[in-house]
Amino acid sequence: MSSRAVEVAKGVPPLAPEREVIWPKPTREKLANGLQVILAESHSIPKFHGQLIFLSGNAAAADRAPGLAEMTATVVRTGTQRRASRQLEEDLRSIGADLSTEAGSDISAITFTGLSEFAEPLLDLVHELAREASFPEGEFERERRQKLEEVKLNRTQPSSLAGERLRKVLFGAHPYSQVSPSEAQVAAYKREDLQSVYREFYTPQNALLLLVGDFEPQEMLKDIKKVFGSWSGNKPPAKTYAETANPRGRRVYLVHMPGAVQTQILAGCHAITRKHPDWIKLGLTNTLYGGAFNSRLVMNIREDKGYTYSPRSSVNALRQHGYFSVSAAVRNEVVAASLTEMFYELDKLRALPVPESELADAQNYLSGVFSLGLATQDGLLSQFSNVAQNELPEDYLETYRAKVRAVTSEELLATARKYLDSANMQIVLAGDRAQIESQATLFGDVEIFDAQGNRLE
Amino acid sequence: MNRLQIAIEHKRLANGLHVVVAPDSTAPVVTVGVYYKIGFRLEPKGRSGFAHLFEHMMFQGSANAPKMQHIKLINSSGGVLNGSTSYDVTNYYESVPSNALERVLWLEADRMRALKVDDENLKNQRDVVKEEVRVNVMNEPYGGFPWLDMPPVAFRNWANAHNFYGDFADLDAAHLGDVQAFFKTYYVPNNAVLLLLGDVRPGEGMAFAEKHFSSIPAGPAPAFADPSEPEQNEERRGNVREQFGTLPAIAVGYLMPKRRTPDWCAMALLDQALHGGRAGRIHRELVLEKQIAVEVEGGVDDLFGYNGPTQMTTKILHKPELSSEAALTAFDAVICETQENGITAGELEQLKVKWRSDYYATLESGRGGYMPKYGLMHLLACFTLFDNEPQLVNTILDGFTAVTPEKVHEVARKYLCNEKRAIVFRTPARNSLPAGAGVQEAA
Repeated sequence: MSSRAVEVAKGVPPLAPEREVIWPKPTREKLANGLQVILAESHSIPKFHGQLIFLSGNAAAADRAPGLAEMTATVVRTGTQRRASRQLEEDLRSIGADLSTEAGSDISAITFTGLSEFAEPLLDLVHELAREASFPEGEFERERRQKLEEVKLNRTQPSSLAGERLRKVLFGAHPYSQVSPSEAQVAAYKREDLQSVYREFYTPQNALLLLVGDFEPQEMLKDIKKVFGSWSGNKPPAKTYAETANPRGRRVYLVHMPGAVQTQILAGCHAITRKHPDWIKLGLTNTLYGGAFNSRLVMNIREDKGYTYSPRSSVNALRQHGYFSVSAAVRNEVVAASLTEMFYELDKLRALPVPESELADAQNYLSGVFSLGLATQDGLLSQFSNVAQNELPEDYLETYRAKVRAVTSEELLATARKYLDSANMQIVLAGDRAQIESQATLFGDVEIFDAQGNRLE
Repeated sequence: MNRLQIAIEHKRLANGLHVVVAPDSTAPVVTVGVYYKIGFRLEPKGRSGFAHLFEHMMFQGSANAPKMQHIKLINSSGGVLNGSTSYDVTNYYESVPSNALERVLWLEADRMRALKVDDENLKNQRDVVKEEVRVNVMNEPYGGFPWLDMPPVAFRNWANAHNFYGDFADLDAAHLGDVQAFFKTYYVPNNAVLLLLGDVRPGEGMAFAEKHFSSIPAGPAPAFADPSEPEQNEERRGNVREQFGTLPAIAVGYLMPKRRTPDWCAMALLDQALHGGRAGRIHRELVLEKQIAVEVEGGVDDLFGYNGPTQMTTKILHKPELSSEAALTAFDAVICETQENGITAGELEQLKVKWRSDYYATLESGRGGYMPKYGLMHLLACFTLFDNEPQLVNTILDGFTAVTPEKVHEVARKYLCNEKRAIVFRTPARNSLPAGAGVQEAA
């Protein structure tokens, strides 16, 4: 709660009439081999951005080992049957391209950008990685060793540790509880395991190819058919995962980091997927709460109280589940005070309707920021990618802003009451136990872990 | 060859404010920036971190837009905003739907005309900045490495060598008088450029600039301290303790030539040869081939925007079984090879293609996808404030295209020498984890 009255600005120019927001019409085609292609023009620079997405990620390989899809993606870019690692990197440079391979919980992806004049050689290279990765033994060993160091490093990083613990707490036996493998699990990765993930996941029936940029779509489609047309492979069998329920009752999980001069707070609960009909309402609720600079949480614990630099909240969507989270890195003395304010603002959203003017501000923010994505090739790509990956309706981009503006204050109250409840939030604190444990106990039973994930008494 | 021509209008108002308009109606979005020619390099002595703290104060209230109103008015117009402080400039910027253009200009003009802040605002933002330093530096593995660790080792002039984020004692000593004095000295229209990019017609943009900014009085031209360094003739070394991370780290910095000289163009391409991603020589040799490093990266912090002594820096995290001297020897082998043999014409051609591709990306780039044309804004601002020539965005590539393999070889020998470099070793404090008292069980 603000301790000081807010003054209003004087003489602010009104907004001019809005210019129409027009999304480029994508060209969509499903090739005979099952590859779904989505192309959109954007001529801001003589380049294009692309993504080849496979609809299987770490969750689909979790029964084998945590992080296996990510390790597979890492090694994919280190060699093909035709090109060794060094050749691949030089070839990319010679056509001015950037490329990365990665996997998250639900997808694996090859993401790339390059000059329009060299579109065809770049598509060739992407195709080669998708189809002919050779997993050279030496490259695999090197990448595995690097992954080990990365895992160790992440265990020294407060926000990584907090994020990892929250996912464990929220998702239990479901693969979404795993965000990082242990050192022992990395050491046990086998090259053959990566190759079998590759064979199963990297198939045209399991893939989406999105390109946005400076090209003529019909010409590009011809190139794509030429390059990707002869590729074949089936969709991997669907997996079923363990059930997971939203934890009831508030608890505190303290990750002990000796000597930490600050505490990373991260609290969360289950929420919804992007396909859920409440998605926009919850997104707007989040904007008001802590999703924008001008949000209640930022104004309270940063601009009024100075507890933290970057407080924020977010709604995070995975394919099967979603979760809401709120975070802030605060000085050790104000951990309890910060949590109190976080929950005060959460409960206020459940207790009182949002004033109309504040609702209008949040609606303008969310719909305005959405259209900023129109101005850049990668902004457009991420919007089209979101629609395609989540199988959202084809008019999603065109209708989003109107849907945001149609939400009422009563609906927000109902949404907050349905999803956000301070009595059932799971709280993670990554910090020095000696300095914060007594504050932690004020908010529920406390379980303490070390950075390796071991329980401490 | 450059395939992209940016339309640019540039004029200077009577009060000395530069105005640059770069129209592009592709999307109904406009990005506005105001750059002031003062960064943390030339902040007042005894007030380390002040330029950055001051940047925070610019969001705390102006004559007609009190505390919280600036942020609220931008967000509620559908836009995003931020500011940042770097070596030689400080910027403030917004991306908004273009119907909010005049509102944004009104807000920027209001805070250029009169900052209205009090002690409570200063105390609040001092607290916020301390948490920023804790989250980014003090509580973060390899925090501040090497951008905060290198300057005190490499430089002798306080301007270049001090703690840019600020010693907490200096932040605590800062008072409201400092804020107003800094504002009065450096935040005058004749020390700034206003940039409008995107969905704005040049005539309309210039007219709005005139309407909102022309009545802000000019101030005396700021007197800048001399940032020059005494000549360096010996290798300099320093050590910093790493509190959290488990890998030893090394940073090596070489002095760069003056901006916009033929040497500078050649060094930029040499930097790409050394640090350009996984094909770069240092990554290729240390990570992929010899496999002694886990992570390497490097480059020049702000190639187009530095206005004082600057380094090209390599950062290496290497395997703990290797001594730092051994890692440094492997790094030196890459440098020596480059000095002896230069780079081939074929390699240089690749680098030029990649350079052009990266340049286009810079022009378009958002920050996190949501700040369209941030890169173009930054280039236009630096070319205006330092060169009085924003049109350089359309010709600057020519200098890089003209670089020859011989020239790269020459600058490798001239600048990559030990007596012009500084090295920082960041060494893990290995005893960071005391044995846990409790029962160990799987989580």
